Amino acid sequence: MSEEYLYAYGVIENEELGIDIEGVEGATRAYTVDHRTLSAITSDIHTMDPEETEENVRAHDEVLQTVMFWDEGRTVVPMQFGMTFKNERPLKNVLRGGRRAFTQALREMDGMVEFGVKLIVDEETTIDRDAVRESTTNRLATVSEQEAQNDLFSDRLVVNRSYLVNRNERSAFDSAVDTITDEYSDSVTVQYTGPWAPYNFVDIEISSQ
Amino acid sequence: MFLLDDLFIRPFTSILTVIQAMAVEELYDRDEIKNDMKENRLLFELGERSRAEYERRSEELQTQLDVANQAHETLSTKIQVKQ
Repeated sequence: MSEEYLYAYGVIENEELGIDIEGVEGATRAYTVDHRTLSAITSDIHTMDPEETEENVRAHDEVLQTVMFWDEGRTVVPMQFGMTFKNERPLKNVLRGGRRAFTQALREMDGMVEFGVKLIVDEETTIDRDAVRESTTNRLATVSEQEAQNDLFSDRLVVNRSYLVNRNERSAFDSAVDTITDEYSDSVTVQYTGPWAPYNFVDIEISSQ
Repeated sequence: MFLLDDLFIRPFTSILTVIQAMAVEELYDRDEIKNDMKENRLLFELGERSRAEYERRSEELQTQLDVANQAHETLSTKIQVKQ
């Protein structure tokens, strides 16, 4: 048997959870490791250095999404891909060291989910990109709590933003995206993704001891 | 004469290294390759690119990125040695 390590997906308020689910590096179960008021969502994996493949990144997301909507749902503070620990001790040290930051993030993200909106112009269009950008982002700002701009990595991308949305106001955000999709259907494709854990709205830096 | 050679050659080679570094930076622009990778993925997700085309392009870009990483690594080692 090869050695086992602990992969951490994110942090929730203290709660005992065990879910049979496909995780990072072929893990088959996600379970919680606690420290006082916090619980980290983890899986046992066989490497200290999981590869950032498409499959692994998707598994990371899926575990977080499943936990977010398990039973009645809960707030999750996501960790970035790749947080692996030798065993429970260093992980608990991170929870201890970051307790204040995690607790504050859990409070701020309470009931929030993240959505991604990308607007991609068709190849042959002459549409006024600035006007589209302004009009759509103004509309989405009114139905979201916060927004984060992401890279415009392609010439065809007009908007690439993440939005923090209150779960209770999700339908308002959905219909705003629908309206935009219809309004520009001639020349713009809208890619709407989520709900995600609020990756773009939590920024906690902790060094393990 | 030795002194003159030294003075003449040393700055000349270091300028060359800098020029070479700039050329590598431009020729092997890793950010641009990464952007192309993201665009490839996006166009596949939108259905504008077939899976076969997406996979072929992915492989091509990954090779480019590996080469670029290697070029940068070689160059940064060189510069470190000089310093």
